[in-house]
Amino acid sequence: MSTTRRHLVQGVGGMALASGLAAPALAQGGVRVARVWGEPGPYGGVFVQGMNEWAQRNNANVRFEVEQIPWDGVTVKLTTDLAARRPPALISVESPIAYQLAAEELLEPVEDVNRAIRAQERLVDGFTLEQFGAWKGVQYAVPVHHQPCLLVVQKDVIDELGLGDPGAWNWDQFANAARTIAERKPGMSGYTMALGRNLCADYHITQFIWQAGGLTWDTRDNFKTVFDSPATVEAFEMIRRLQPAMPRSAVEFSFLQVVDQHVAGRTAMSAYWGRTMGRAAEETPALFNNMEYYLNPAHPRTGARWSWTDINGWIIPRRDNPFIRETKEAVAYVSNSVDWMVRYSQSLMPNVGPVFKDVASAPAMLAHPFYQSKPRSLDVIFKDSVPHACNTGLEQKRGVNPLAGVAHGRSVWAQAVQRMLLNNEAPKTAVEWGHRQFEGIRRDNARMLAR
Amino acid sequence: MAGARPAAPERRRFTLSDRQVGILFMLPFIVTAALFMVWPVVEAVRMAFYAYNPLRPDDIYWVGFENFERIFDDPLFWESFRQALVWTGWSILFQTVLGVALALLLNLTLPGMAIFRGLLLFPYIVPTVVIALNWRWIFNSEIGIVNHALLSAGIISENIAWLSTPDMAMLSAILLNVWKYTPFVVICVLARLQTIPTELYDAAKVDGAGAWRRFMDITLPMLKEVLVVVIVFRTIWTFNKFEEIYLLTRGGPGTSTFNLAVYAFEEGMANLRLGVAAATGVVMIALLLVGTIIYVRVSGFGREEKTA
Repeated sequence: MSTTRRHLVQGVGGMALASGLAAPALAQGGVRVARVWGEPGPYGGVFVQGMNEWAQRNNANVRFEVEQIPWDGVTVKLTTDLAARRPPALISVESPIAYQLAAEELLEPVEDVNRAIRAQERLVDGFTLEQFGAWKGVQYAVPVHHQPCLLVVQKDVIDELGLGDPGAWNWDQFANAARTIAERKPGMSGYTMALGRNLCADYHITQFIWQAGGLTWDTRDNFKTVFDSPATVEAFEMIRRLQPAMPRSAVEFSFLQVVDQHVAGRTAMSAYWGRTMGRAAEETPALFNNMEYYLNPAHPRTGARWSWTDINGWIIPRRDNPFIRETKEAVAYVSNSVDWMVRYSQSLMPNVGPVFKDVASAPAMLAHPFYQSKPRSLDVIFKDSVPHACNTGLEQKRGVNPLAGVAHGRSVWAQAVQRMLLNNEAPKTAVEWGHRQFEGIRRDNARMLAR
Repeated sequence: MAGARPAAPERRRFTLSDRQVGILFMLPFIVTAALFMVWPVVEAVRMAFYAYNPLRPDDIYWVGFENFERIFDDPLFWESFRQALVWTGWSILFQTVLGVALALLLNLTLPGMAIFRGLLLFPYIVPTVVIALNWRWIFNSEIGIVNHALLSAGIISENIAWLSTPDMAMLSAILLNVWKYTPFVVICVLARLQTIPTELYDAAKVDGAGAWRRFMDITLPMLKEVLVVVIVFRTIWTFNKFEEIYLLTRGGPGTSTFNLAVYAFEEGMANLRLGVAAATGVVMIALLLVGTIIYVRVSGFGREEKTA
């Protein structure tokens, strides 16, 4: 039997029609994929494994898949995905960005999930649910972890040079120690922080501002811009004072470069989160053995040791998200499981601090080798830092401020400091420039604050 | 005897004129160009007159020329514009000079020249993201191989901050651009060089013209047309270039390597003002259009053909 073109066309047409008619049925029968955005690192993946366990046990006909989005890439990715009406089902993101998205009314309220996991009762002392992401009294985040930015120190260098106890340092003693190290240890910087035009620099800079008593906006005074205070100028002067003890290229450093610098043995001290210790343990055990974490040096006048802390929660995009019910149930399932939450925290020790008391004190958590080798540092990271934990969206714990997410998008803090360091502007002039930018952001986003 | 066979009904023949066939062949290109070139440009021009926050795609409203006023009032726009001129000007100058020089070398008939010609394409073939990330490591002032090599050779006594000072960062970005795109100039110039009749050179030699004279009086005039085209294209592409600068320096340190493309990106994605970003794009189109017209007029491109 010969096949004619007419037969071929009829056959193909018939198949196309049948496929089209069958598509809805096939779609109903197939497993739907819900995307989950996690920060770089394995912990998001571990949480998603737990969510998939819930999906399997409940025949939920959904599979959660993790996508790692860099810290400073979330806004870009989210804008494109929202414009395409295809947001992820669940997001883990730096606190200020979460606060911004909540105020933009882009998130699903999660009081029901927080009730289901008894979040209020289980929270580690010192944290409140609001700090993870609430706006106008509505909770938009389910607590998941905390990450404080602290002073990472190679204690052997400090001891060798007789520089005292870093835990008792104030700003002056700290600056002197950094200078002494840079002078007396060739090839080694005294201190490393990020000063590039990026998120990491924003975080490192703002710690100094709060310690000196400064703020960017005053949430208790109608979000008034108060960046141009003497305290901010003092913080800028401190950074300028520290700069000679830093690597010359610190003005382009972001997250990765700071850690690289430390684990390559090129700095005796740095500002960073727990990952430096994790990387040192993996790559340079000699450095790891002498590494300790300390609260940030106290300001001589205020005594404050504020730490830029990611008080991180899961947030759920509201619009065009077909997985809200499943996501809430799966998040509650994993959050209620001490076993899964221990695995989550331990997937990148000691970077992902537990936020629930039962997880922090679980025998499995305390069995981690780091608790044996670095008990003091782990206590500092996980417990002692909590009273000093705030971030740009929660300055000095004075209330949530969604403007910080917008300001991070523009790296205003970093740009202001770069004007001082690169353009040789006086600290006061650079601060005044920053003040104008922040005031512009407040003016542009009045609509968001009023909502 | 069989009867006369009835005449088959005359089938209407479906024929196309040459012109229609031509249009048919062009249709895929026309559709593709309309979809991926014309429509985005039209959309960008339209967007330039609206306020649009991509986080809230439904919240879009007409603002007239406000976006243009905003960018013309912004000192960073003018700084980016000045830096775009520096970035484009030096890049094109180096690419053209190096491209012509390399093409002249590769036009020589030497053994193994085909291998060199192939190798020369390497920078042009490798994806920009790979190159930029590699260059970040190469130029890393702490652990980069460039500083290591220069220190080892005793050429420098302390590390150079390649990407950490405004001038050096711009220079590094220009170097990357020159390294990657000089091969494009080489290919175009080499193709033209190979079509220049050798008789012209032989006659010039007979007349006693030296190498420099032959280059100035024969090679360069012959290359003029191709150089005009290459420079126009390279200028447009370099002026619009985003990914190299963004991947290498992110516009920093400070805003010292911002060009207008990076400025537009920052406005759109960091500041969430897509209307302002679109207005920047429209200004860039206008600038390039005017620049290209002036350049083509001044260079006299196509004048010979018209007068012929």
